[in-house]
Amino acid sequence: MHVIVVGCGRVGSEVALNLASTEHDVIVIDRKIEAFRRLGDDFKGTTMVGVGFDRDVLTEAGITPDCAVAAVTSGDNSNILIARVARETFGVKHVVARIYDPRRASIYERLGIATVASVTWTSARVLRHLLASESTPDWIDPSAKFTIIERRVPASAAGTSVGSVESASTGRVAVLSRFGEGTIPAPATLLQEDDVLHVVMPADSGALLDAALNTKEGSH
Amino acid sequence: MSILRRKREPETVETMALPQCSPIGETQPRQRVCVSGKVIRMTARPTSGQPALAISISDETGTATAVWTGRREIGGVTLGRKIAIEGVPVLHGDHLEFTNPGYTLLPR
Amino acid sequence: MNVIIAGAGSVGRYMAGQLQDSGHNVTLIDNDTKVVTQGRATRTPVGVTWWLGDACEVATLKAVGADQADVVAAVTGDDEDNLVVSLLSKQEFAVPRVLARVNNPKNEWMFNDMWGVDVSVSTPHLLTALVEEAVTVGSFVRLLSLEGGKARLAEVTLAAGSPAIAKELINLGLPRESTVVAVLRDGHVVVPRGDTVLHQGDEVLVLVSGAVEDDVRRALVG
Repeated sequence: MHVIVVGCGRVGSEVALNLASTEHDVIVIDRKIEAFRRLGDDFKGTTMVGVGFDRDVLTEAGITPDCAVAAVTSGDNSNILIARVARETFGVKHVVARIYDPRRASIYERLGIATVASVTWTSARVLRHLLASESTPDWIDPSAKFTIIERRVPASAAGTSVGSVESASTGRVAVLSRFGEGTIPAPATLLQEDDVLHVVMPADSGALLDAALNTKEGSH
Repeated sequence: MSILRRKREPETVETMALPQCSPIGETQPRQRVCVSGKVIRMTARPTSGQPALAISISDETGTATAVWTGRREIGGVTLGRKIAIEGVPVLHGDHLEFTNPGYTLLPR
Repeated sequence: MNVIIAGAGSVGRYMAGQLQDSGHNVTLIDNDTKVVTQGRATRTPVGVTWWLGDACEVATLKAVGADQADVVAAVTGDDEDNLVVSLLSKQEFAVPRVLARVNNPKNEWMFNDMWGVDVSVSTPHLLTALVEEAVTVGSFVRLLSLEGGKARLAEVTLAAGSPAIAKELINLGLPRESTVVAVLRDGHVVVPRGDTVLHQGDEVLVLVSGAVEDDVRRALVG
């Protein structure tokens, strides 16, 4: 997948280096050419000097609806602009924006933009949100019997009840984050697109959770 | 593992309850409010070259509109769906309009 | 009216002073301690309430009474800040009229209802338009964008070959989504009526929707 990382600070460079060493095709955009020094000499991706919410720059960076965009500059406002332009002008589905101010995060989550807050941020979380592939465990208990998995709810699972996801996955939804705010859901709570679930479940049941969240609209 | 004991304590502070909504007919503009109703209309309302989704919801006291900019659809939001909307509405002519509000899908 | 101005640079301060003089209740927000301290100390502009804070934060907008504001003007020197202030004002406080300044014309395309902007003002664009207006006669110059970009105020100075010369306004065939706002002639303003006849050299100010701009241009320029 083609990934555009905007912002080559500590976060952006780490995300870019991680991605470039896998099979993804990475381009890093930054306003300042000196920022690319953080990538080192062996960086396998490409770099571009420019403003990340400029349509011409993004077009030149190869933006398409199937690519992924990480808005990880040091400014919340820039990150939101980049995220919205990527999503709304270019139709990119996999967009994540790093937000320092948690109060702003909830407003931006309502715009349908996945935000990663600075406090809990790691490049691993950014990558996980960006690539939105199978559930990866946040935590494994000492006995290695249980894990906590973080998963973003896809649009196709909207309307499913928490209870039915719990039964199907044999886990418990410990925390549901909606529009940037975490709560403990009731079994009757209906899932919505972009909700972030933290699910406690038996260690090897990840596939059951994936299956439970990939149900089609018709079943509820 | 207190989360597993959650079922005996449905009214803890952080437990997700259904939102408290007020009737659309009694809602004043420019105040944070929650209203709920059935989706009676959905339109794509592209403006300034970007997509936008507009829905109208209705309860027994009136109709309100919600617009989400930059999207064409929202999972679970379909005609006939009961939904709660939370935000600060603007008075648009004679009806209330919410821009990018929070929403909760309600049980059928 | 209650007016909140974000950005106390020369533009913001000027606007604040003018509006306060006209009897409005103006609050000026800036994030620079020196600027705000000095403004408060010198009490300039007169009567204006100063606020130190980041206008891009909901808490700041709430503190200055955005929920009661009639107008928010986002006029900082930073386009990103102006867009975010506009979005928050519209979405979180339902401010009826949001005005935003465009610093870099390359960003002008975003200054519309997608970010809660009702009126955008691009100083470079305006300056260029005014320069164009001063040196050209006969071309259609856009002065101002309104209603989130849907309506524009434009100006045409009627050149010798204009199809509109010697015609009554009512016979120009101007489309419905347009209005002639004023005709400037020999230093005074002619209030246009259906039977107003246009002359060569008249400066016609017209409000048009984007959809009919070309039709109006054809009717006035040819």
